[in-house]
Formats: sequence, structure tokens, C-alpha cells
Amino acid sequence: MSPRDVVVVGGSTAGATVLRELRSRGYEGRLTLVDPEPGTNRPPLSKAVLADASAEGSVQMNHTSLDVEHVRSEACGLDHPNRTLLTADGGAHAFDALVIASGSRARRIAAPGQSGELVLRTVEDARRLRDRFATSSSAVVVGAGFLGLEVATAAAKAGLSVTVVDVDPPLQRLLGTYLAAAVCARATALGIAFRRSGAVLVGEPVSGVRLDDGEELLADVVVSCVGDEPVTDWLHGSGVDLDRGVVIDGQAHTSLANVYAAGDVAAVRVDGAVVRGPFWANAVTQGRVAATSILGQAVDHPVVDPYFWTEIAGLAIKVVGPLPLEGEPRVLEDAGSGTGLLAWGSSTVVALGIRRSVPRLRAALRDLSVAGEPGGA
Amino acid sequence: MRIIADYDRCEGHGLCVDQAPDVFDLDDEGDLVHHFDSADLPAAHEAAARRAVDSCPVAALRLA
Repeated sequence: MSPRDVVVVGGSTAGATVLRELRSRGYEGRLTLVDPEPGTNRPPLSKAVLADASAEGSVQMNHTSLDVEHVRSEACGLDHPNRTLLTADGGAHAFDALVIASGSRARRIAAPGQSGELVLRTVEDARRLRDRFATSSSAVVVGAGFLGLEVATAAAKAGLSVTVVDVDPPLQRLLGTYLAAAVCARATALGIAFRRSGAVLVGEPVSGVRLDDGEELLADVVVSCVGDEPVTDWLHGSGVDLDRGVVIDGQAHTSLANVYAAGDVAAVRVDGAVVRGPFWANAVTQGRVAATSILGQAVDHPVVDPYFWTEIAGLAIKVVGPLPLEGEPRVLEDAGSGTGLLAWGSSTVVALGIRRSVPRLRAALRDLSVAGEPGGA
Repeated sequence: MRIIADYDRCEGHGLCVDQAPDVFDLDDEGDLVHHFDSADLPAAHEAAARRAVDSCPVAALRLA
């Protein structure tokens, strides 16, 4: 039976994709969005929005064209036997299909009671960082992942002296040594310093970090970019299978009937292992899969889409295909100064420092896969 | 209603094409094609075009 009452928890990329896909695939029943906010298009937050207030207008989701009833409250419970979602404002919302897209929150490392830790997850966070950059001369960023390096880039471009602290070499765990070295060279040229160490936030409010060797680095701005945690507290006791997130299968279906999940809150079970990939492309593809599954249509998208892009110290990187990338790449196109189109095996293509649209990258990857097969061209 | 495309910002993700195939396309190079670039949008395409604007992950589309 096709659903007439779909409730979506969370209006950011995953939830917004579900709402859009349901309508564009012809769903005419009721759509209820539960979220205190309209939802956020998050990729620009750590890029354009950190540099430029005028980019803020682009990040707030707008669902007005979708005939959605927007309940501006937090989800606080799931009563699955009665097919009802509970909200903090006392509401009870009946559904015949539910999508959990409650996202994640920034992981924090401040001691209990310690104030002043800065993170980047919301528009307010981005605004606060941008304002602080404008009145500061130094920054310490804890965490040398994508987010940490994007934040470090914005701080350096705002004229701050920036130090990034991480136990691992920047980006190496995800990108492998070749790309990590390319990124580091560019970041260093922009004046970003790197320290290999653990870091404990010091000061009240936070004014620096203490490194493993006891040295304290003090800075006007200290930002923690140390990962995220799925927002699943409200689901405890609901019976839904939780493991690193809300566990979903290839149809974006959870362990509960008629309950789906998508985006940063979801963790995908693949061949017995549960993997959470909190990237934009996964939020989009899982939103599509959830909408398709709800409507009983054939699922025509993968539940995991290994694609992401970043820009660090002016170096744009687009990756299509699985990570990490071990060893040296094959150079498919050399654009000079270390930039170009690179391939790792026949599974991953990277545009490094060149503009290349996503369809062209995907086409390049298809060509590789064909060529890589036995008997292929 | 018009839709302004910032071609420099476009990364060719193509979500707008999924949402509004009568308004947007990607050419063989994967670059954005906007069928109503300097014209008012026909009313029949407005709802889809709004969805397209909202779907863009790099904020390259805006209503005018």
C-alpha cells in the first residue's frame, strides 16, 4: 500500500532530498518535516560562508515549493508500535513512513564545565568563527581532517597565523600520502603550521591547547574539528538498531518496518560491517534511496556514493571513488605544477587543482573501469 | 520569475537537472546549460525550478 503520511525528521541535505524526491517522483500525500530550523545546506559553511557573510543566504534550506507541513520542534521519541513520532513541543505525529535524518552534531573535547570551545557545524557556528577571525591574530585548529583544514584555510586567508594540531599527518588517513603531501605543501605555503600531537583544551574560557610534550599553544581562536556524533539520543528505547548510527540496508531501510534513515545519522551495513560516511554525497544518495523505497519504486541509486570535494589553501580536490588512496597515482592529464587528473587503480579518479565537472569525472572513472576489466579496451 | 546561474560557482553536480530537466541540462563537458538564462521562466516550470535552486550544494543558483 502506498503511504499517505510521510514524516521526515531533519530538513538538511538528507531530509531535504527525501522531501524533494518524494514530490518529484509524484508523491501527493502528506509530508511533515520535523526540525526546529529549516535545515542547512552544509558544504558552503566551511568554505564560502567562513570567508563572506553574503554567502550565508545560500545555506538555509527552503521547502516552501514542496507543500510540506513544518513542525518547528525537536523529535524526542519514536513510538513504533503506534507508528507515531513524538516532538518536544508535546506533538504526536502519526506516520505510515518515517525518515530519520536527524544528522549529527560536532564532537567536542572540552572538559566538563569548560566554556568557550568553538566548533563548526551550524550557520551560527560559521558566523561566530567569521566574526572571531575578523578581530583575531592567531588560531589553533585541533584536527587535520577536511573540516579542520578548510577552517585553517579561512583563518589564514583572514590574516591569522594558524597552527593545526593532530596526532596523524594532515589528511593522510583518508587521502593517502600522495594527496596529503600535495595539500600540506599548499597549506604550508599559505602560512599554516602543523604540529603532530594530541591536544587538550586549556583555559577558562578556552584560550589554547596543551600538547603531549607539555607545551602550551595559546591563540585568540581555538577551534575543535574532531569529527561528529550522530544525533540518536532520541531513539534510545525505540527498538531501532543503532551501531555507530541508525543502521540501514541498501534500501535505506532501518531494522523497523516503514522506518528509513539517511545522511549523517545513518550507518550502512555492507557485507556484515557497519560503515558511517558522513559526507554530502551520501546524504543525497541515501535521501534518494529512502524516497524511492517509500514509494515502492525500484531503487536506482547506490546507498553509498563515494564522492566528495574540498578546497584547501586554494587547492581544489574532487574525488570520485573509494578512499583511502595508497601509493602513487597514474597521471591521466598533467595540468602542470602537480595539478591534473589522477587515477588510483581503476576505482578512484581525482581532479587535483583543476576544474572538472562531476559528470566528466564519473565518465573518466567509467572509462577506467572498462579498461581495467579483463578483456576490456 | 528568473533564475540566475553563477557559472563560475557551478561544479556540475547536476542535482538541478534531476529536479528541473526542462530548465537545466549538463552538456557533454558536464557544464551547466540554463535554458532560460536571460528569460522569464514559464510558470509551468516554477515549482521544479525552485526545487532545483534549493538542491544546489554550491549555491550557484538563485531566484531573481
